[in-house]
Amino acid sequence: MQFSPLANPLATVAQLETSGSQLDGVPSDLEDSVRFAGARLTQAAGILLRLPQEVIAQAIVIFTRFWVGPEGGSLAEHDAEQVSASSLYLVSKLSAFQRSARSVVNVYAYLHSLPFTFIDLDQLHEKKDAQEYYVTEGTYQLRKKALFDMEQRILKILGFRLQVALPYTLCITYLQALDVFGHPRASELAKRAVAYLNTALLSPQLLYLTHQPPSLATAAIYLAAKDVGIKLPDVEWWEVFDTDREELGFLVVGLLSVGSFAAAEKEKWGDVKIPLTVDALEAVINARDVDGTHET
Amino acid sequence: MASRWANDEADAAEAARRKKEKEQKKRMKELKQRQQEDAAQREPADRPPHKRRRLSSSPSEKKQSSQDSSSERRLLRFDAPTWGPCRHVSNFETLNHIEEGTYGWVSRAREIGTGEVVALKKVKMDYVHDGFPITALREVAILQKVRGHANVVDLREVVMGEGFDEVVLVMEFLEHDLKTLQEDMPEPFLASETKTLLRQLASAVDFLHQNHIIHRDLKTSNILLSNRGALKLADFGMARLLPPPSPNASPLTQLVVTLWYRAPELLLGTPIYDTSIDIWSLGCIFGELLQKDPLLPGKNEVDQLYKIFSLCGLPTEKTWPQFWRLPNAKSLRLPRDAGAGGTAPAADTAALLRRKFPNILTAKGTDLLASMLSLNPDHRPSAAEILSHPYFAENPKPKPPELFPTFPSRAGQERRRRKSPHAPVRGQGNARLEGAGEVDFSGIFAGREEEMKGAGFQLRMG
Repeated sequence: MQFSPLANPLATVAQLETSGSQLDGVPSDLEDSVRFAGARLTQAAGILLRLPQEVIAQAIVIFTRFWVGPEGGSLAEHDAEQVSASSLYLVSKLSAFQRSARSVVNVYAYLHSLPFTFIDLDQLHEKKDAQEYYVTEGTYQLRKKALFDMEQRILKILGFRLQVALPYTLCITYLQALDVFGHPRASELAKRAVAYLNTALLSPQLLYLTHQPPSLATAAIYLAAKDVGIKLPDVEWWEVFDTDREELGFLVVGLLSVGSFAAAEKEKWGDVKIPLTVDALEAVINARDVDGTHET
Repeated sequence: MASRWANDEADAAEAARRKKEKEQKKRMKELKQRQQEDAAQREPADRPPHKRRRLSSSPSEKKQSSQDSSSERRLLRFDAPTWGPCRHVSNFETLNHIEEGTYGWVSRAREIGTGEVVALKKVKMDYVHDGFPITALREVAILQKVRGHANVVDLREVVMGEGFDEVVLVMEFLEHDLKTLQEDMPEPFLASETKTLLRQLASAVDFLHQNHIIHRDLKTSNILLSNRGALKLADFGMARLLPPPSPNASPLTQLVVTLWYRAPELLLGTPIYDTSIDIWSLGCIFGELLQKDPLLPGKNEVDQLYKIFSLCGLPTEKTWPQFWRLPNAKSLRLPRDAGAGGTAPAADTAALLRRKFPNILTAKGTDLLASMLSLNPDHRPSAAEILSHPYFAENPKPKPPELFPTFPSRAGQERRRRKSPHAPVRGQGNARLEGAGEVDFSGIFAGREEEMKGAGFQLRMG
């Protein structure tokens, strides 16, 4: 059977119900935090590697798929940081924009050296001591092996299903179909819609794993038009793009909630790094347990 | 006591009621439709047609339209695959080995759970410096993408062994490959059979090209044939997606396609190429089906070019203006009068092919083959154009695949011999005529020159 190239593999109900991490005793709020931080890390690394957003978005979707379901990867077993690096390496290899293992290792070493997850732009631009993120040849060989091992692990867990259809080009096509490009603020609208699609990549509701690209594009346009104040047809235009009202409503709520989720995360973690390795995660879980016993 | 699931009177009544309701609904719908049609017919007479749909309609109209929509609109739903971890390779037992391909070993195996016979292709883990082999990754990605076409081999799943170094593609098993089959056949395929095979092949290639995929290794040993006459394209190890035009995308490898099927522009080191290189290979395969032997079995790059030019004629300024700008063209010395249309067989490929296949091929067939073997890549037809060529419409008509003769399968029984060269290996560098190595070109040409009487070309040594 042939699947449409516009369709993505979606997570099954069983896969959404639980995850390898939860089975290993990782609290689900912590899992959300780590997945969110991992997706942001992938985005940052992709930008530093000068990859196009399509490649970065695919890598984030692969990263997200990896952790889903009882047979998925577990945070108690694999470093989120490593999974992020290998996803990006793997996806870039399949694209027309391959990046070398050395570049990927260097970029992740640099990002690892940043003091906290939610860093201010000013702090980022402060002059840094290059010693902190220099990767020696010996270390590089070790990291390269880890990069390749995790690449294989990802392939195994995903059963080689790496296809990721993205909503970006669809979104532009839909805007054209809605005939908005004559409007003076049309490019603002398009930018806003694309921003929503990028936001959806970070959603704790795993929107890219539960909804097909046409629906994501439609919801992004709906919200962007509200934000920019451009009036769209007064009929149920979303049905033209194969999205029913219920799905549109769900996605709109999902997309809007990412902002408050991100703000809550930033408040929660403040000057602390979200644990992106197995060891760091264990430390956080242990610290929570200790706190728990103190309270009782 | 009767079973609670048994039909009773209440059920019958209920069914009747439902039926009646349905009929009523149907009648209502028909009525409404008729009314609408009438309205639509009347409308143009009453007032000028709307150019655009009115967005703010009167409340009553609006209500009606929303009612219509809820019952009639159907939204497109995509069938989406899911994913799960790779199964273990021990779900299959190997029956016999078939062959060793460019980057993997192929064997026939049975799935223990279902008893189904499949072909297993074990991926060679050679290129450890780049992680998981990109060729295998591309093959899996592309096979997943083209799944479902009748003339492309079906990838069932990917299984893994204990360690990471054992990755096996599970594919449908077909009894023959065209190369081995032709070696075993006493006579070439009939004209009607050739047509069917070529049409199936062109259909597969058309499908790939429509999906922006170049196969880059079309050859008879990569074309499988079932005992029911179904042809399927296999081995996508060299295939890739045509990259979007972008200044910072990495360039395409020049060293692709097995030598005998490699297009002249690749041999001459072109930095950019497209789907037309597959059409060249298709032309070579067409010729091979006609004569049962490879059309252009060159010994090395230089010999290959020599064979191409003696089959198709020499390129001229008119037929292929870009020719002299190709990197390796500078090292060729072609007869000066070739461009002026002198004694050398100029670019009339059709005339040369007619001489080569005097009785086997009709005028239309020769025309098709000659266009596929155009030296200038821009002159080759697309796969879709091949499919609509009148050659397929004329007699003898293509033979229905079901009527194909069956042959004893070698893949089912024993290991194959392998005589044709492999596809070039990744990372061997770019195609360069100079790189042909220790082969003594002058020697080859000394002999050839006499044989060919002026039609050849020379390599300028040093």
